[in-house]
Amino acid sequence: MSVQTASPNKIAVINDVFKPSRSLGQEAWSRLIRNKASVAGMFIVGFFIFLAIFAPVIAPMDPLKLHSGKRFLPPPFDQGATNIKAEPEFLLGTDSLGRDVLSRVIYGARVSMVVGFLPTTIILLMGSTIGMISGYIGGKLDNLLMRLTDVIYAFPDLLFFIIVMVALRDSFIGQFMNGLVLLFAALAIVNWVGVARLIRGQVLSLKQKEFVEAARCIGAKDTRIMFRHILPNSLSPLIVWAAFTIPGLIITEAVLGYLGLGLRPATDSGQFFVTSWGVLMLDGQTAINSQPYLLLAPAICVALVVLAFTFLGDGLRDALDPRMRGTQ
Amino acid sequence: MVTYLIRRLFWLIPVLITVSAVTFIVMRSAPGGPWDTDPERRQVDAATEKSLSAYYGLDKPMWRQFYAYIIGDTNSQTKEYVCGLICGNLGPSYRQRGRTVQDILFSPPEDKTFWQSRFGYSLRLGGMALLMAIMVGIPIGIIAALKQNTIVDYVALFFATSGISVPSFVLAIFLIFIFASRLHLVDIVVDDWTQIKYWFMPMAVLGFGTLAYTARLTRSAMLEVMRQDYVRTARAKGLAERAVVFIHMLKNALIPVITILGPALAGLVTGSFIIETMFSFPGMGRAYVQSIFQRDYSMIMGTTLIYALLVAVANLSVDIIYVFLDPRIRLED
Amino acid sequence: MRKLNVLLSLFVLASLVLTACGGGAPAEPQTVVQTVIVEGTPQVVTAVPPTEEKEAVLRVNTGTYPDVIDPQKSSFVNEIAHLNKVYMGLTTLNGKLETVPGAAESWTFNDDATQLTFTLKPDSVYSDGSVLNAKRFEYAFQRNIDPATAGEYASITDEIVGAPEWRGADTAAEGYDAEAFKAALGVKASHADGSACADYEDTACNTLTLNFSKPAPYFATIAGIWVGYPAKEENIAEGGDIWWTSSKYQIGNGPFIWKSVDPFVKSVFVPNPNYAGEAIPTYRLEFSYITDSAVAFEAYRNNEFDVIGSAAEDLPVIDADADLAAQHVKYAGSCTIKIQYSFFPTWGGKPNPFSDKKVREAFALAFDAEAWTHDVDGDLSLPTWTWIPPGYPGYDTNTPLHFDPEAAKAALAAASEPFNSAEKLNALGLKMAFADSARNRQRHEWIAAQYKEILGVDLALDPVEPTTYTAIQKDPDTYPLLSRGGWCADYADPQNWLSVYWRTGTFADRWGYSNPEFDALVDEADTTIDPAKRAELYSQAQQVLLNDIPGAFGYNSLNHYLVKPWVKGYQTTPQDGTYPGDVTPWTITIDTSMLP
Repeated sequence: MSVQTASPNKIAVINDVFKPSRSLGQEAWSRLIRNKASVAGMFIVGFFIFLAIFAPVIAPMDPLKLHSGKRFLPPPFDQGATNIKAEPEFLLGTDSLGRDVLSRVIYGARVSMVVGFLPTTIILLMGSTIGMISGYIGGKLDNLLMRLTDVIYAFPDLLFFIIVMVALRDSFIGQFMNGLVLLFAALAIVNWVGVARLIRGQVLSLKQKEFVEAARCIGAKDTRIMFRHILPNSLSPLIVWAAFTIPGLIITEAVLGYLGLGLRPATDSGQFFVTSWGVLMLDGQTAINSQPYLLLAPAICVALVVLAFTFLGDGLRDALDPRMRGTQ
Repeated sequence: MVTYLIRRLFWLIPVLITVSAVTFIVMRSAPGGPWDTDPERRQVDAATEKSLSAYYGLDKPMWRQFYAYIIGDTNSQTKEYVCGLICGNLGPSYRQRGRTVQDILFSPPEDKTFWQSRFGYSLRLGGMALLMAIMVGIPIGIIAALKQNTIVDYVALFFATSGISVPSFVLAIFLIFIFASRLHLVDIVVDDWTQIKYWFMPMAVLGFGTLAYTARLTRSAMLEVMRQDYVRTARAKGLAERAVVFIHMLKNALIPVITILGPALAGLVTGSFIIETMFSFPGMGRAYVQSIFQRDYSMIMGTTLIYALLVAVANLSVDIIYVFLDPRIRLED
Repeated sequence: MRKLNVLLSLFVLASLVLTACGGGAPAEPQTVVQTVIVEGTPQVVTAVPPTEEKEAVLRVNTGTYPDVIDPQKSSFVNEIAHLNKVYMGLTTLNGKLETVPGAAESWTFNDDATQLTFTLKPDSVYSDGSVLNAKRFEYAFQRNIDPATAGEYASITDEIVGAPEWRGADTAAEGYDAEAFKAALGVKASHADGSACADYEDTACNTLTLNFSKPAPYFATIAGIWVGYPAKEENIAEGGDIWWTSSKYQIGNGPFIWKSVDPFVKSVFVPNPNYAGEAIPTYRLEFSYITDSAVAFEAYRNNEFDVIGSAAEDLPVIDADADLAAQHVKYAGSCTIKIQYSFFPTWGGKPNPFSDKKVREAFALAFDAEAWTHDVDGDLSLPTWTWIPPGYPGYDTNTPLHFDPEAAKAALAAASEPFNSAEKLNALGLKMAFADSARNRQRHEWIAAQYKEILGVDLALDPVEPTTYTAIQKDPDTYPLLSRGGWCADYADPQNWLSVYWRTGTFADRWGYSNPEFDALVDEADTTIDPAKRAELYSQAQQVLLNDIPGAFGYNSLNHYLVKPWVKGYQTTPQDGTYPGDVTPWTITIDTSMLP
C-alpha cells in the first residue's frame, strides 16, 4: 500500500488499474485463494463435509455394532497402558461397548457440520431481516426491537440452552430428528441478536449514502432498496460473522453433550444422525486412561474444524475489506 | 452523563422483569418438580410432597407464584408476609431446604470472609481469567497486527485460536494430565484454595476463550487503525514508532475490545459448570446448572437474574470507559 | 495515554487484591506445627521436620457434595456417609451387618412385639462431653415424624403409634396442634423406673420406650438408622434451618468429630475420644468431593487419595498394572437392579404386552445377566435371578428362571394374541425409558441390542432427562413400559426388601404390581416374632414374587474401590457407602510406615 515499496508491487498496482474491472466477489475470491491459511481451511472444511455426506461409504464398520468381548481395544499403532490386544480391523480401537471408534468419528462429522451450518443460516436470515427492518423503518418499531435485543443479551446463553433443552426435550419437537431441531432453535433464538444489531448499524449508515438517496429519487420501493441496495453492501461483515460463529456452535454442541443434553442416541444405523463428536468426547473423557483415542480422535477433529473455520474467517475478512481492494 | 446513567439504570427494571418472566415460564414448562429427586433415590411420599408444596406456595396459581417471587406474598402455613425480589430476597432453595438462594451464593462458610462464598470464589476466578485474557490477549493481538502475515502473526494467531478449538472439559483434563500427573507441579485434590498456585489451571481454562477472542479482535482493530489518516499523519510528523503505536493506534484499537470485555466479565464471574466439576472448584457455576436439573426454581431464577444484572452493569461500565478512551463519545440522552 | 496508564494500574491493583483476598493468613508450613490426637485430647505438638512420624490420615473421595446433612432430612448415600461418622443411633451394625448395641446398652420387646424399650449405656456423653440421655433420642424421632421437617424418610417410622397421623396432618389447618400430636406419639423417654425425665441434663433419663400400632420385631434395626441420630435440639434451634451447614452445630456421639467443613472442597473428621462404640478410631478422616471419575483416578495414582471408587472405564488400566490390580477391592453390594415391566393393562393407549405372564417370562429368560455383567459392567456387578441379594438375610438361591434364549423364544410364541411374536410386538412399538447419561446410554443400547438379537424385538430407546424420568415414574399414566431400576437396602432385614418395596400400597403401586397372596404373606411375616417362622414366611413371599415374574432380574451391585496398601483392617459389608469399612470405621488402621 505504501508508496515506497519495491517496484514489483508498483507494477502489480499498475497492472490492476489497466485490468478490466472485476466484481467485488471475484476480486475477493482471488485475494482469498492467495491466503494460504484460508485455502488450507477451505480444504479441511471441504474434507469434513465430504466425510459427513459419504459416511456410510467411508466408514469401515457399522457405528452401532457392538462387538462382544472387544471393549476398549487400543488402536493397532499404540498399545497404550492396557493389556488388551489391538485388532487390525479397528483402526482407532473400540469404545466401552466394543464399537468401532473410527466409524463413529466419521459419522459424528455429520452432526458437527449440520450444527455449524444450519443454525447459522437460520440466524443469518432471522437476524438480518429483523436488523434491516429495525434500521430502515426506525422509530418506535426500532426502539421496541432493540429493547428486545437488550433482554435477550441479558440472558446467560448456556443456561438458556440448558433450560430450553430440559423443558422441551421430551416434547414432540425435542424428539424430532434426534433432538437436533430443538438444539438449532435454541441456538438461533440466542444468537440472532448479534446479527440484528450488526445489520441495523450497517443499514443506519448506508441509509444516508448517496446511492440509496439516488435509488429513492427514481422511485424504488422500500423492499427493493433494502434487498437490492443495502443488503449486498452489508454482506461482507455477515460472512465474516458466520465464519466466526460456526466454530462456536460446534463447541457449544460438544459442551451440551458433556452436560447430557446433546443428541439422542440412535438405535438404527440407517438414521442420518447416529452420534456426534460431543457425545464421543463425553464417552472418551471418562475412559481417557483405557482408550485415549476415544477422546483424542473427536477432539482433534473438532480442533481442526474450528481452526479451519477461523482461518477461513480471517481470510474472508481481509478479502472482503473494500479498503484492501487492489492489494494483496 | 449522570442523567444518562440514571436512565440506563431505570431501563434495567423492565429488562429484569422480562428476563424473570421468560425464565419462569420456560422452567415451569419443564416436567417434574423440586421434589422429584434423583431416580435412584427414595422420594418424599405424596402427603409430604403436598405439605411441602403448600409451605413453599407451589400449589398456588402460576401468576400468583410469580407475583410472590417478584413482590411477595403471605405464607399460607406460617401466615407471615414474605417479601420478594424487590426486597432483595431471592427466595428459598427447594433442594437445599432451609437455605435461601442469597445465603447459598453469597454467604461464606463459617469463620470465612465474603471472598470464600461461592460467588466470591467465582468472582475472583473470573476476575483473574479476565486479567489473563487482557494481559496476554492484547499484546498478542498488537504483535500479530504489527507483523501482519509473517510467521510471528501466524504463530500468535494459532496459539490464540488453539484455546477455543477444544471444549473446556477436554482442555482441563489435558492440563491435569500434564501439570499434575506428569510434572507434579500442582496437586489434583486441592484442600486449600488460599494458595495461589492452584488457581492457574482453572484460570487458564476459563480465560482461554476470552483471551483468544481478545487477541483476534485487537489484531483486526489494530489493522483497521493502522490505515487511518491520523496514524499516517503521526508518522509523517516524525513521532517515534512506539508513540505512534501506543498513543495513536492502541487507544483507538481498544474500543471494540472493551466492548466485548464487559459481557465477557459477566460470563466469567458467574462461573463455569465444567471448570468447577473438573477442578472441584467451589464456585457458583455448579449451583447454576444443577438447579436446572433439580428444578430448584428459585435458584434458577436467582442465578439468571444475577447474570442479567451483571451483564447490564458490565455494559454500563463499558460505556463509561468509552468516554475515557474516546473524547468524541459523549454519554448524553 | 495517562488514562490508559490509570486503567492498567487499576488492573494490576485488582489482580493483587483478587489474589490477596484469599482470606486470612497464608497456610502455615505443615511440617512445623501439627495437631496430633493423643488419647483423645487435642494437643499441638511441634514436630521435628525431617524424620517425624507421619500422621495417620484416610483421604477418601466421596464424589458429589451433599445437598442436606441433617439426620432427619437426608436420604442419599453420600449424605448418610457424613452423618454416620458424627452420630450413632440407639443400635448400630457390626461387620456382619447384625444389629448390635449402639448408644443403647440393651433393648427388649414385649411379648407381641408392639413395644420396644431401650436402655442407654451409662454415662453416655456427646463428643463435647455434654450429657446424652434418652430425651435426645425422643426428640430425634419426634423431629423425624413432625410434618414441618418433611424428610424423605419420615415414613420409615410409621409403625410408631400416632406417627402416620402426625406426619400426614395439615399444618395449616385450623386448630393444628403439634404438641397434641407429639403427646399422642408412641415415643417416650423416662427414667429406668418409668418416671418422667426432667430435661436434657437429666443423667438418670436412660430409657426410651417405643409403642407400635402393629408388631414390629425388626424395629431395633430401624432405630439405628440415621433418622434416629440425636442431633441437639438447641443447636438446631440456634443455627436455624441452616444449622447443618456449620460443623460447630454438628455435635454428635459418633466415632468422629466433624472438625471443619469447606463446602465442595473438604471435610475433616477427627476421632471422638468420648465414642461409646466398639473402639475409638486411630486416624483422621478427610472427605473430598471430586465428581469426575477420570480426575479422581489421576489423583489416586498421584497418592492424593487413599480410597476412591473404581470406575468401569478405568478397569483395563487397573488390570494391566500389577500394583493397581492388587489394590482393587471388589465385594457384593447392597442393590438389586432389574428391568421393571409395567403392570398396567394399557400403555400409551395400547394394550400392554407385559400383562401377559408369558411375555414377561420371555423377556426375563432373554436377558443374559452374565454377559451383561461382563460386557457392560466389566465384571463390576454380579448376575442374579432372585430379588434379595447375597449377604442379606433372606437371600434365596432357589430361582425359577435362568438365561435361556431358546426357552425365551418358546415363551414368547406361547403368549396370548396379539403378543405372541416379535412382529406383533414390533407392530405395537415397545419402548424403554431411562434417565439420560453417558453410562445409561451404553447400558440401554446394550439391552436393546440383546432383545433384538434373541427375541427379534425392536426396543425404541427413550432417554429422558433425569428429573423428568422421576416425574413420569410417579404417574401411572406415564409409567414407562420398560425401565431399569432397583432397590438398595436401607437396613438388613427381608422386611425392607419385600414389605417396603413390593407390597400393595408401596413402591409397587408405581408400576401397578399387586398380588394379594404376597401381601398376606408379608403382612404375616412382618408381625411374626419367632425368627425362624418369620424367615420362612418371607421366603415363601419371595417365591410368590419370583413366580409372578415382575421384572427381568438382572444383577446385584458390587462395591468396588481402589485402596492403598497402607489402609489396613477394614471390614467389608454390602452396606459400605463411600469406602470399604464404612460401617465399622474403627477397625481401620493406617500403617504410617508404608506411606510414601
